[in-house]
Formats: sequence, C-alpha cells, structure tokens
Amino acid sequence: MVKSMQLSASLEDYLETIFVVVSEKGGVRAKDIAVRLGVKAGSVTGALQALSQKKLINYAPYEAITMTTEGLKKARQIKRRHEVLKEFFIDVLGVEEEIAEKGACKLEHDIPKVIFERLTEFVESIKKDRIMTHSKNEVTLAEMKPKQKGTVLKMNHRGTVTKRLADMGIGSGALIEVERVAPLGDPIDIKVRGYHLSLRKEEAAAIILSAV
Amino acid sequence: MKNKQITVALAGNPNSGKTTMFNALTGARQHIGNYPGVTVEKKEGLRNYQGYEINFVDLPGTYSLTAYSIEEIVARNFILDKHPDVVVHVVDSSNLERNLYLATQLIEMGTKLVLAFNMSDVVKQRGCEIDYAKLSKLVHCPIVPTVGNKAKGLDELLEVIVAAADGPALSESGSIIHYGSEIEQELEQIAALVNQEHQLVKKYGTRWLALKLLEQDKEVLDKGHTDEVIQAVAQSVERIGKHFGDEPEIVVADKRYGFISGACEEAVKNSVENRHTASDLADKIILNRVLGLPIFAVLMYAVFKLTFWLGGPPMDWIEIGKVWLAEVVTGFWPAGTESVLQSLIVDGIIGGVGGVIIFLPNIILLFLAIAILEDSGYMARAAFLMDRIMHKIGLHGKSFIPMLIGFGCSIPAMMGTRILENRRSRFTTLMVIPLMSCGARLTIYALIIPAFFAAKWHGLMMWLIYMIGVVLAIMCAKLLRSTLFKGETVPFVMELPPYRVPTLRGILTHMWERSWLYLKKAGTVILIISILLWAATTYPKPNESALTGLDARQVQEAELNYSVAGRIGSAMEPAIRPLGFDRRIGTALIGALAAKEVFVAQMGIVYSIGEADEDSDSLRAKLKENYSPLQGFCIMLFCLISAPCVATVAVCKRETGSWGWAFFQFFGLTALAYVITLAVYQIGSLFVG
Repeated sequence: MVKSMQLSASLEDYLETIFVVVSEKGGVRAKDIAVRLGVKAGSVTGALQALSQKKLINYAPYEAITMTTEGLKKARQIKRRHEVLKEFFIDVLGVEEEIAEKGACKLEHDIPKVIFERLTEFVESIKKDRIMTHSKNEVTLAEMKPKQKGTVLKMNHRGTVTKRLADMGIGSGALIEVERVAPLGDPIDIKVRGYHLSLRKEEAAAIILSAV
Repeated sequence: MKNKQITVALAGNPNSGKTTMFNALTGARQHIGNYPGVTVEKKEGLRNYQGYEINFVDLPGTYSLTAYSIEEIVARNFILDKHPDVVVHVVDSSNLERNLYLATQLIEMGTKLVLAFNMSDVVKQRGCEIDYAKLSKLVHCPIVPTVGNKAKGLDELLEVIVAAADGPALSESGSIIHYGSEIEQELEQIAALVNQEHQLVKKYGTRWLALKLLEQDKEVLDKGHTDEVIQAVAQSVERIGKHFGDEPEIVVADKRYGFISGACEEAVKNSVENRHTASDLADKIILNRVLGLPIFAVLMYAVFKLTFWLGGPPMDWIEIGKVWLAEVVTGFWPAGTESVLQSLIVDGIIGGVGGVIIFLPNIILLFLAIAILEDSGYMARAAFLMDRIMHKIGLHGKSFIPMLIGFGCSIPAMMGTRILENRRSRFTTLMVIPLMSCGARLTIYALIIPAFFAAKWHGLMMWLIYMIGVVLAIMCAKLLRSTLFKGETVPFVMELPPYRVPTLRGILTHMWERSWLYLKKAGTVILIISILLWAATTYPKPNESALTGLDARQVQEAELNYSVAGRIGSAMEPAIRPLGFDRRIGTALIGALAAKEVFVAQMGIVYSIGEADEDSDSLRAKLKENYSPLQGFCIMLFCLISAPCVATVAVCKRETGSWGWAFFQFFGLTALAYVITLAVYQIGSLFVG
C-alpha cells in the first residue's frame, strides 16, 4: 500500500521524530527537530521540504508543522516497527532497555519487510502465550479454595505487612497450600514451609500466586 | 573459689518450647521483672554448672529480629546492648525452616550462638533425620538436640554453653549467607562508608550495620548516621528495587530463606512422607466449618464456669475466714467498747486484705484455664475463629477471651489482655473491659430489679442491662480505635502452632506467676485505697450527744452521714440530682468504689435496715417507697457504666504501666456514665412524669 512511497532511512527518522514531538507537545518547530536529532537547522529544512513534497506533512516556513493523515499513518508504522524490534530485544533476547533502544534505531530502517512481518507475528504470539498462561494460573491467595496450592509470584502490600510476611516465610517462590477458611468466612489457614499460618483475606488478597 | 559468672540469653520463636526449656534449666530460681520502660516481661533464672554461675535471661519469643514489634526490639537490644556471653536459640526442630530464620539473624549479629534443637523426639517420630554435624558446619555454630519437656540433653547443652563462653569471640561471621552479587555489591558500598562511623562500627559491626541499613531498619537508620551514609543507602535501596522489583528487606528475607532451604536440603532427610500430623487431624474437627464454633462456645463456657463456679466455694471460705478473723480480733477488746485501733484492724485492714485476696481464686483459676488454652495451642485457634467479629470493631481475635472473662470480673479479665501482643489492641480492650457487666454488679441488679419491676420483666431487664454494656463496649472500642489508639489495624498474621499436651509444671508456673504479680503489684494499691475508703466512711465520728436516744441502726446511719463519705454524698447532691439520685445514693456510690457489692450494704445502712444484702425485701420496700422505677433503672445504668471499683484502677495502672491511663479509664467511664444516665433520666422523666 505504501510501496510508492519508500522513504530514505533519514527521512523516516525525521517523520518519526515529528510524530513523537507532536504527540508529546501538540505542535513542532524546525528547531525542536534539530535539537532532538542532533543535526543542523539547515539540514532540517531540506528534510522537511522533502516530506512536505511527499504530502506527509504540512510545511511552510515560519509556520507550525502539522502532519497529514497519510503522514500520521506512515509515522505510526515506523513507530510500531521500532517498538516491535525493541520488544523482541528486551522480552525475547533479554537485552537491557537502553541497548535495545539503540539497536532498534539502527535496525528499523534496513530490515526487509518479510522478516519484519514474521518477527511481528512471532513477538505477538509470545505475548499472547504469556497472557494466556498468566490468566490461567495467576490467582490471589484470597481466591484460592481449600486444598489448592500455589507458589508466590509477588506481594502487593504496603508497609510493614510484606516484611512481616517475608519474615514468616512467605516470599517469592514459597509454596503455599490453603488448608481451610474460618467458619465465619475469614481469616484463612494456610500451610507454608511446613507450618500453619492464619491471615485475613484482606492481606491474602495482595499475595499473587501461580496455582500449581 | 568464687564461681565464674556468665550471662546467657534464651532466644526463640513463640511456641518453640523456650519457656519450658528455661524452666528446666533454671528450676525454681527465677525472677520476673520488666524490661525498662516497656510492659514486656523479663524473666531471669540462675543455674550453677561446673564452677559457673549462669544467669539465664528469657528473651521474648519472636519470629524475627527486625523492628517490627516491641518484643523484637527488646530482644535485639538486649543482645546488642547487654552483650550476653552466649545466646542460646531454642529451635523447634519439627518446624525447622521458619525457626532457623531467626538463627540467621542471630548469626549475623555476631553473637556466640548455640542452637538447641528442641523437640528432637517429635522429629524422630515423624521419620525425619537431621544430620546435626553437617548442619552445624553449614550454619557455623554448635547444635545440641534437646527435649525440653523431658529435660533431655540439658547437660550437653550446658557443656556447650560453657565451652562457647570460654571460646574465642566470633569474628565478622555474618558473611555465612551470601546475598547474591547485586546485594553484596550494595552492601560493600554502604559498608565502606559506614566504616568511618567508628563508634557505631565498634558496637555493632560493619556488616550488620550495612545489612540493617539496606533493610531500611528504622531503629538502625535513626542511630545518627552521616548524610553520606543515608544518601548511599537511599540510592542502594532504589537500585535494588529496580533490579528485583521488591524492597531490599523483602529480597534479603527471601535470600535468608533460600540459604535455610539449601542447608536443610543437605542436612535433613525425610524418610517418611508425612502429610497429615495428628495436629492436622485434630484441626479437621476443632476448626471444622460446622463444629468449630459450637466447640469454641462449649470451651468458653467451661472456662467461665471453671473460673467462677469452681472459684465460688474458695471465695466463700475466704469470706468466712475474714469474718472469723474479724470476730477473733474484736474479741481482744472488751465487749461494748470502741477503739480506733480495733476499727482500723477489723474494718480497715482485715476488710482491705480480704478485698484483695477475695479475687485470688478467680485469678488463679482463670490463669489456669488461660495457661491450658495457650500451652495446648487452642488460644490461637480461638482467635482464628473469632477474628471476623472482633476485627469489625477494630480488635484482634484474641480480644474475645478477656472480654468474655469481663462478665465474671474485670480484674482477671484486664490481666488476661496480656495475651494480646499489639499495644493498641491491648489498651483498647483493657479500656472497655469494665463495660462488660461484672459479677459484683449483679448484686445491685438483683436488689433493684425485683424492687421496681414486675416478675415477668425481670429477665428482660437483666438482659437489657447486660446488652447496654456490650453495645457500649463495642461503641467505645470503635471510638478508641479511631481516635486515641488510631492506626492501621494489626495485620492478622498468626501462627497456628501444633497442638501439644501442656506440661503440668508449665501451667502451674504460668498460673503462679500471674497470681503473684496480682498480689504483689495490684494488691498493695488495692489495700491502701480500701483503707482510705474505710476511713472515709468511718470518720469523723459524730458527738456522743448527737447519738443519744437512737437505736443501733439509726446510730449507723447517723455515723455514715457524718463521715467524709456521707458529707461528699451530700455535697454531690446538686450534681447528681439531675440523674435522679439523692444524697443517700451518692453516699452509697462512694462506698461502692471499694467494690460494687458494697453499694447494697451501704444502701442498707443509709436506710437503717442494718445488715442488708441483695435478697433483702425490707430494703426493696424502702427503695420502692422512695424512688421511681426510672430512678431504679438509672441506678443500675450508672453502676454498670461507671468505673467498677478501685481494684480495676489499680490493675489498669499495673497493666498499662501508667497512672495516666488508669485515671483516664476511671474518669472517662464515670463521665460516660454521668452523661448517659443524665440523658436517660431527663428524657425518661418527660414520659414517665
């Protein structure tokens, strides 16, 4: 669909930057772009004229720059490509965010379209998988029924409660089994590290487990 | 040669058998006191062993040594400030992982630590084998298997203690746990800066300080560190938070448990898969959804019965003994004569002492019951069952038991609040307990209700007055929890310890300690106030001439009216008139401060009935003549709400550690009684006329 409008790597960078600045600040001036990209104001003018010719932006000297519908679409594509790459680096390859950002910037323009599409599919499928497994197994301790077991993933308490629970052996990875609920419906009796502990549902609701 | 003296601190989790061990080690040579400034009990006991005089200090039972609770701070500060020669950590070997968590913290403090693996017999029965030598190597301190309730392994333990005391001081032994490169890196950075704080380092050790700072331990952060240190800590905390997604103290706790799990995996062998212990099976019935509450109700009824029904006869004996003694002493003086000394001894001292020990049967029996409930492990279950209800009024599940006991007598009930660990919960419970209508007030209701109300209303009136007390207690508890004792509700994180057969010795020790405490601390105050009240109702005496021509009863009445109490009663009249009370009721109310049942006797005197009790029909007739049913109801209401007796004031002082709270309770309740009675009488008068 956009085959007729292949942009050079540097023009893509310009378009992306304009998009980012517009969505952050509402409008953009040539000077902002120069600062962001670390280039001279003169070269910005040239690039803006080129983008304007391609009908991606509305540009006239001394007026605020706005994006055309076509330009917005294009910019979103570029941005998306950048994000997919970054996600892949961080989530799949386990690269630190800063390096992932740099890598994405370098690769986003040169990557062949087919590879990019496959990569997008791959990242999406992994994400879906994770969400599936999360929603299937992730429960709060308060939701668990007697005889159910789970290992602690995280705790969302405030203040000293978490520390107290950690002292009592409820920390990441601890195996917990719900033994019973009190006759009046609260508190609950759990087994952790071989002993019985009781806590109110209030506190239990902030303990996230992965059910076993 | 003089014995060498060493101090040994006993640390351990609650329910680890620490107290049993302490009793077995020290025998009867114990001393109970308080840690300075707090109401945490401090128990010390002596033991001679091979030329050593060992002073054992029983630290409060704790799960950890953070600044989470007052007990933890007390235990930690004792080790840090008093430098005991050896610390013995009593470990419940049947619950190794959580118990060893405390051990990791003790090791990090750099103390000479000895681990007593208690209940080692239970572990063996369960088919669990502990390789003590291996585990000892892993945790870098000696381990002695013991069985506290059978006094096994004590000699070995003493030997190891003495050897440790003479052994070399531990160097910075904290590093037995490696917290992983990220945390170790931060620890190093903080340690480098902390090292310049020479005073603190000398006292606490570099690694411990760095670790506690990283754990954001409030006590340690407040020790006056340089800004540089505080800043470095803040940065480290932030970095760790980013990396682990958790506060450093949580990560550190997890790592400790990780270390323990690892050590246990290496040194402990479970030959039998043991999913359900006998205790688990017992809980299937005791905490059953259907049976749990009925069982609880039956047990509570049993406690109540035991305390007050079984306590009844001994109380009668004390009363009889008191009367007999009074008669004997009166006999020393020739009949018919009167002497100040005689009156002081008979009415003041014998009466006062009697007033103190009259509570003793109740207290002894209640604490016997509480000791059995606690030592058997049921107390935690009771809290588990009742927490839903008690939580609604801002209290802890455990508050239920003292409040229930309050229906019998406030004195043992208030002392029973010791089972509550949290100060806010405990003080709130303590303050509202007198609103649970006690047994002594029953005598007043028994006198007044039949005097003013038809037989068919008796039950309802009685129920109404008790319910008013309960509702007020709930409202006051809620009010106190949202004002004076405001604060986060205590998170209910409570161990349900395995059931155990309590040892006779443990129970008796427990019972004796409490009763002695009552006699020693509260008893003296109660005695003094009783004597003062005696003086107030006896002096000054009217002139002989004023009494001529009066019969014995009228003399009594005239004397009471002439006394300080009578005069205060008269002086109070303008103030209590709006409540529907006259001078006579005022006088009787003052006498009732000594004990509520005195109200009835005093009313008997002011109406010249002579010896009156709650069954006195002639007194009832007098009351009916002089007062309306509304006034009768107001008397009951006022007696229900106002502070019960001087003994409660004394016990409140004893339990809160301050006269301030005792007076707050006394005047607070009296003011509440005044306002409510005033409202009821004034509004009631509009309708009844």
